[in-house]
Amino acid sequence: MTDVSIKVTDLTLRFPVYGVDAKSLKKNLARVTVGGRLGSSQTGATEVTALSHLNLNLRAGDRLGLIGHNGSGKTTLLRALSGAYEPDEGQIEVRGRIAALLDLSLGIDPSATGVDNIRLRGRIAGMSSKEIEDKMDEIAEFSGLGPFLAMPMKTYSAGMQARLAFAVATAVEADVLLMDEWISVGDADFQKLAHRRLLNLVERAGILVLSSHDAGLLRLYCNKVMRLESGVASEVKDIRRLDELLAAA
Amino acid sequence: METSQHMLRTGRRGTLFEFSMALRDLVTSYHRRGLAWSLAWHDVVSRYRGSILGPFWITISMGLMVLGIGLLYAKLFGISVAEFMPYVAMGIVFFGLMSGTINEGCDTFVQASSMLSQTSLPMFTFIWRTVLRNLINLAHHAVIIIAVIVVFGLWRVMDVLPAIGGLLLTVVNLAWISMLVAIASARFRDIPQFVMSVMQFAIFMTPVFWKPDAFPDRHAFLTLNPFYHMLTTIRAPLLGQEADGLSYVVLAIMAVLGWALTFSVFAITRRRIVHFL
Ligand SMILES: Nc1ncnc2c1ncn2[C@@H]1O[C@H](COP(=O)(O)OP(=O)(O)O)[C@@H](O)[C@H]1O
Ligand SMILES: [Mg+2]
Repeated sequence: MTDVSIKVTDLTLRFPVYGVDAKSLKKNLARVTVGGRLGSSQTGATEVTALSHLNLNLRAGDRLGLIGHNGSGKTTLLRALSGAYEPDEGQIEVRGRIAALLDLSLGIDPSATGVDNIRLRGRIAGMSSKEIEDKMDEIAEFSGLGPFLAMPMKTYSAGMQARLAFAVATAVEADVLLMDEWISVGDADFQKLAHRRLLNLVERAGILVLSSHDAGLLRLYCNKVMRLESGVASEVKDIRRLDELLAAA
Repeated sequence: METSQHMLRTGRRGTLFEFSMALRDLVTSYHRRGLAWSLAWHDVVSRYRGSILGPFWITISMGLMVLGIGLLYAKLFGISVAEFMPYVAMGIVFFGLMSGTINEGCDTFVQASSMLSQTSLPMFTFIWRTVLRNLINLAHHAVIIIAVIVVFGLWRVMDVLPAIGGLLLTVVNLAWISMLVAIASARFRDIPQFVMSVMQFAIFMTPVFWKPDAFPDRHAFLTLNPFYHMLTTIRAPLLGQEADGLSYVVLAIMAVLGWALTFSVFAITRRRIVHFL
């Protein structure tokens, strides 16, 4: 197998902003008939630049913490790394199987049971039905949800949802784990379990990219840290220099 | 080549590149066809969770409509029930496939927005999900078709092979229409309403409930209606009649042109679809 790596070169990512109004066909058709503004609506449309000229190189064993204010582009970077957002400029190359835990409710059907949701999430994460059944006991045990697994997910608390999502996502033999903020929702027991799994992942020569506002959590999980500010990335620094980066805020 | 082990995403590199990326999306969706199937199946199961009859509720309501309209119109038009009931039964069931696949196409990407914005799943997967879900529904409603075939002894005269050919051509066409409205609906929120109106209009303009006997063969009123061709190529052979060869030709041409158009639109908008949502 090839080595696990993340290589981001000169990544720029913009969000076109489609005004609520502009979503109405009427307005767009009107624009066409008025003439001349069609061109400007394609090139001159409002855009938010969420990431600009970002470079990042991670190798096996790297556990990168992302810090930055709200709206600085952490989630956008994680989504781009998951393959969901296409770069406007530059290039993203990820070697290794990716598991993204960005949104707890991904593929979750609130009226379906925990077990059904494990199946659904597992399928989305790329497991075959057989793989899921083989791992079902392990996932169920790790989630610690016991009899709740037979209950509809709408009866779960946020922490319970996090357990289930985390249990499924880490059941996939992933090399690259992307996590956004929420890791802190679980209770102390769960945090301990999660910590062991994450360390396990890193021991298997994986990569972790974790965004968090919690300095303690970052010190616990990460060995490197990068700061984003309005879509511009700082250098990747050793976690021991976290205070320096935080102070720069 | 992209595998689950290797992901490469780049900025635009010209039209040809965009088309090759769109093609890759299609190929990946084929490799992961099991997922589209699981999602479709999950949709059907979850929509009717807690209900005892599940999708058969729609079958029952369709069955009632067939019974009511079959008896009433046969009387009104002075046609025998044996002739009209199977005709209307197949009309309602197969038009249901068409309007379902197209109307639900509007929701395809909107419904999948959370998955599209945090995974690298192919977009075609969600198109297949909508199409497969409607085929699963059709499989339930097939009970009605089987009932009329048995009750009215159509199994003696029907010709299954051309009907299957008609169904395949129809589904290939429905798939591109469904995808085109999926992209358009993601960007313009008026499209679902528009599509729904068109389909409501179409059910009356298409010979679902009425027989086109009043028209001379190949009247423009019929030949210009794509749903007429879809319906007639499936229904006529099942009724023991021969569908006009022209209809198969029209459907085949429409499939090629329609997919060329839809695939091009997809290639051009693919990067942006996730931002439309
Ligand atoms: N779907 C979207 N449409 C438009 N702008 C967005 C969208 N998602 C994020 N943004 C913008 O991109 C920037 C970065 O957002 P995000 O990555 O969510 O920040 P963070 O996770 O660091 O709080 C913000 O300015 C935000 O407004
Ligand atoms: Mg965020």
